[in-house]
Amino acid sequence: MQLTSNEKNEYKVIEFEGSLDTATSPAVEKQINEFIDQGTLKFVFNFEKTKYMSSSGLRVLLATAKKLKGKGELKISNLNEVITEVFDVSGFSTILNVYKTEEEALS
Amino acid sequence: MNALKKILVVDDEPLNINILVELLKGKYKMMAAKSGLQALKAARSSNKPDLILLDIMMPDMDGYEVCRQLKEDEKTKDIPIIFVSAMSEDMDETKGFDVGAIDYITKPISPKTLESRVHTHLALTQQAVELREAHALIQQQQQRMQDELNVARDIQLSMVPTTFPQDEAIEVYATLKPAREIGGDFYDAFMIDSESLCLCVGDVSGKGAPAALFMAMTKTLIKSYASSDFSTASIMTRVNDELCEGNDENLFVTVFLAILNIHTGELRFTNAGHNYPYLIRENKSLLTLNQKHGPIVAAMDGLVYKEDLITLEKFDTLFLYTDGVTEAMNPEEELYGEKRLENFLLEHDCKEVKTSIDLLMKDISTYENSASQTDDITVLSCFYSGQSVLASLTISIENQLDNIRLITEGFDTFCEENKISDTPNQKVNLALDDLINNIISYGYKDNKVHTINVAFKRLEDELIIIIEDDAMPFNPFDGGTDNTHLSIDEREIGGLGIHLVKNLMHSCQYQRKANKNIVVLTIPL
Repeated sequence: MQLTSNEKNEYKVIEFEGSLDTATSPAVEKQINEFIDQGTLKFVFNFEKTKYMSSSGLRVLLATAKKLKGKGELKISNLNEVITEVFDVSGFSTILNVYKTEEEALS
Repeated sequence: MNALKKILVVDDEPLNINILVELLKGKYKMMAAKSGLQALKAARSSNKPDLILLDIMMPDMDGYEVCRQLKEDEKTKDIPIIFVSAMSEDMDETKGFDVGAIDYITKPISPKTLESRVHTHLALTQQAVELREAHALIQQQQQRMQDELNVARDIQLSMVPTTFPQDEAIEVYATLKPAREIGGDFYDAFMIDSESLCLCVGDVSGKGAPAALFMAMTKTLIKSYASSDFSTASIMTRVNDELCEGNDENLFVTVFLAILNIHTGELRFTNAGHNYPYLIRENKSLLTLNQKHGPIVAAMDGLVYKEDLITLEKFDTLFLYTDGVTEAMNPEEELYGEKRLENFLLEHDCKEVKTSIDLLMKDISTYENSASQTDDITVLSCFYSGQSVLASLTISIENQLDNIRLITEGFDTFCEENKISDTPNQKVNLALDDLINNIISYGYKDNKVHTINVAFKRLEDELIIIIEDDAMPFNPFDGGTDNTHLSIDEREIGGLGIHLVKNLMHSCQYQRKANKNIVVLTIPL
């Protein structure tokens, strides 16, 4: 999984390319934690180029959301059809801030 | 001629002994004892008496004590004892009966009274012995009958299969619930070759061991002829001739026999006096297969049976049963009946063969309520999906988390090659990631290398995924409550993967086979 990050409107926008699963989640979590440790507290996660996300990936999102709670922001955007279903089935769509597009998340 | 009965006379007065011996010696063999101890010794000897005339007042050990000791001893307790004494007060008599005497004679002795009492008690004792023997014999017979029933039940249940042929094109399930007095039902379902599925249901007349043995014979003959003969009419004709030979018990059997080509849906069948099966169509219409092809089997030799050929439509379900279903009775002695059965079949999803049969058996039990089941109940369902495998792939990996990607990537390629769209592709990858992660992370207690196999089968409009591992027994779909309604703080991390798999797949099944966990997932394409 490839992570690309850009600073936009006070947010760190991260694009996830590939699949967020057992194999890729540990490295992704490490990378996000480094950003937080460096002082970044406002994120937009753009999953436009993510094929699928297993529960390992959901765990990373949940852990990140817990870390940022009360002191930062986590916005999620550009979920594909299957990940949207996964978010609905898992209840993540109600506990995370999900936006259709990156623009909506930033505005 | 019976040997003379032996009578022991116990008295410390030789004169008294002589009187009694003289009175009885013509009809009985007489024995004598002059003290309580001698009496006990004589009664416990191998030559023990059939009756004892016992004096009460004796030095050292009185008659009561002798009687009490004899009655306590398992070997002597059945010897009838009559007290003979000069004392005639009520108290003494009562005491005598209390210690176990059967009668009481007071001196002076009337010869007639003595003779008749001795005779009566010997006869009574003899009758009691005979009664006991008769009772033991009856119990033995009852046990034998029960054993026979148990044997019959064992034969019956061991003869019918509990695992069924597996193929993408079909799904078969059957069950047999024996009545208390075995009725001789049977069913069978087996693949004759890679495309021919043989199904049969039968009901032997009569009950118990003969019926069970006849059923075993019928079933075995059908299976052996079916291996080389694809005409149900021909099979039935041969089975009939074979069973007629040496059928001294005049048993007979009703049989419905069918051979289904699982690739074309062609169903060849012969109904020999059996109740009509149903064909349940996907649009929930019910078709009765009311063709008759000959009488009951084993009644008359030389008969030639006929057969019919129909073609099943995809998603048809063939339902076979025995009359134990429709003739099940409630406590008011009303039958379960065909109408009720037909309604049940129309109201339930019969394509789910096991679920629907389990529900039907439950419905019948509920209907019977407290009434006992009088006949065997047998049902067999065969769902014909008509699906065939267009492409398949098996990937094997060693139990390392990094290897999961070999499976998901291999599956991605399989999807491209076989025109499987992104949505099912992504859902299956998610399911594989979560399930195999669980197996590798929690399934193995040793540090050895294990193999996990994943097979993909692409049917026309469905994909089947089979995950096979030799980890410890674990059914991932068993229980587990999801916590998806909880807020971010309350969320426990874990257990979510299975919840996702259950929701994203069309069906998830688990079974433990030998030392393997087998998970089967399906998803529509």
